[in-house]
Amino acid sequence: MKNLNLMLILLSAWPAVVAGQSARATSYAVSVRTATVNQTTAAATLPDDGTLAQTQTSDVTIASLVSAQDAFATATGGSDGDQSDAVSSATLGTVNILNGLITADGVVAISTSTSGNSNTDGCSLGNLVVNGVQVSDPGPNTRLDLPGVGYVVLNEQIATSGGVTVNMIHVVLQQQVLGGSVKTGDIIVGSASSSVN
Amino acid sequence: MGNLRSLAGLTATVAVALVGWSCEQNRNALAPKIDAPLFHFHNFECTPVKMTGGGRIDYPPEQTTKNPPASHEYETFGAHVIASGQTDANGTCLADKGELEWVDHRPEMEINGHPLNLHATSVTFAEVATDASCTDGAVHWGGILRVENTHQDGYDFEVWDCDNGEPGNNDGFAISVPALGYAVQCWAVTPAEPTCYLTGGNRQFHPTH
Repeated sequence: MKNLNLMLILLSAWPAVVAGQSARATSYAVSVRTATVNQTTAAATLPDDGTLAQTQTSDVTIASLVSAQDAFATATGGSDGDQSDAVSSATLGTVNILNGLITADGVVAISTSTSGNSNTDGCSLGNLVVNGVQVSDPGPNTRLDLPGVGYVVLNEQIATSGGVTVNMIHVVLQQQVLGGSVKTGDIIVGSASSSVN
Repeated sequence: MGNLRSLAGLTATVAVALVGWSCEQNRNALAPKIDAPLFHFHNFECTPVKMTGGGRIDYPPEQTTKNPPASHEYETFGAHVIASGQTDANGTCLADKGELEWVDHRPEMEINGHPLNLHATSVTFAEVATDASCTDGAVHWGGILRVENTHQDGYDFEVWDCDNGEPGNNDGFAISVPALGYAVQCWAVTPAEPTCYLTGGNRQFHPTH
């Protein structure tokens, strides 16, 4: 009987949970976090009332770490119970990271979430070159070492509560200390996040 | 102004080429793929509606797969519209509000070396297509936009917007800006029956709001 009561309580609460589902979407073109730089450029966040947000920047330069052109970030969707949806995207034209260590000439990050579904369909990296080597269509979470710098994760996909985040290029800066490595910063190019929960 | 004229010339060429290409594809298109978002847009209702979302379309837009990334042959967008089902004296189904942000990344569409960027300054109408085969709903809507690259304003636009289930890779979206001769659409038959696909993102039809 206790179990039945619990089930009834859960069932009666379920529509309220669904009705309360909300959509979240954020995106940005470039983010740099180091001891001396903390900057995010071309960022968009889905407004509380749903609808749409977009920012754009023709030229991005962050210290001597990243330069890029034609950066667009868009976040859109709406909170509407089990019909909630969230879509975010970040696109860039030419990208140069760490003085040519990584280059690309077309970055697209897209994250999509609806109730019970999330994906990163539509993401792509054009003419990607890492440390002098062409990299075509990297699979999710492809990690490449960058000697003397750290490593890069390409097409980084991170499951979140009710959604997914994709970072198309994520450089982790490291410093060698006492035979080991210490993280000293992050450079992320092309990030999109969405969730419905 | 010269740039916009160039844009208009280019887009007109592309649009004409696209229509021709699409017509050539028409014979096959009449045997659509399963779940293909065919929406006829012959019959409309002026009812409350909301459509949200965004995503990516690869050019030409009939295809369901992405082009090679280095080609830059794609568009990305965000768009939403809300209507209460009210008509004006002319019978136009009015939109309450809406937004469109559209970026065409194709090199041949660049203006001054930057992607063509269209921004809606107002969304004026929205009507629900009742004969659509989109499983969740379809909306024909539009308004006025500005070419952000040149800050030239006042161009009428219309979109055909299809939510064909979840996830969004069977959803469709098409746009036309007649005064610019610009169109990303895929007429399979006449009159209009767009079958554009999203290669990323989602369109979400909300029957009420």
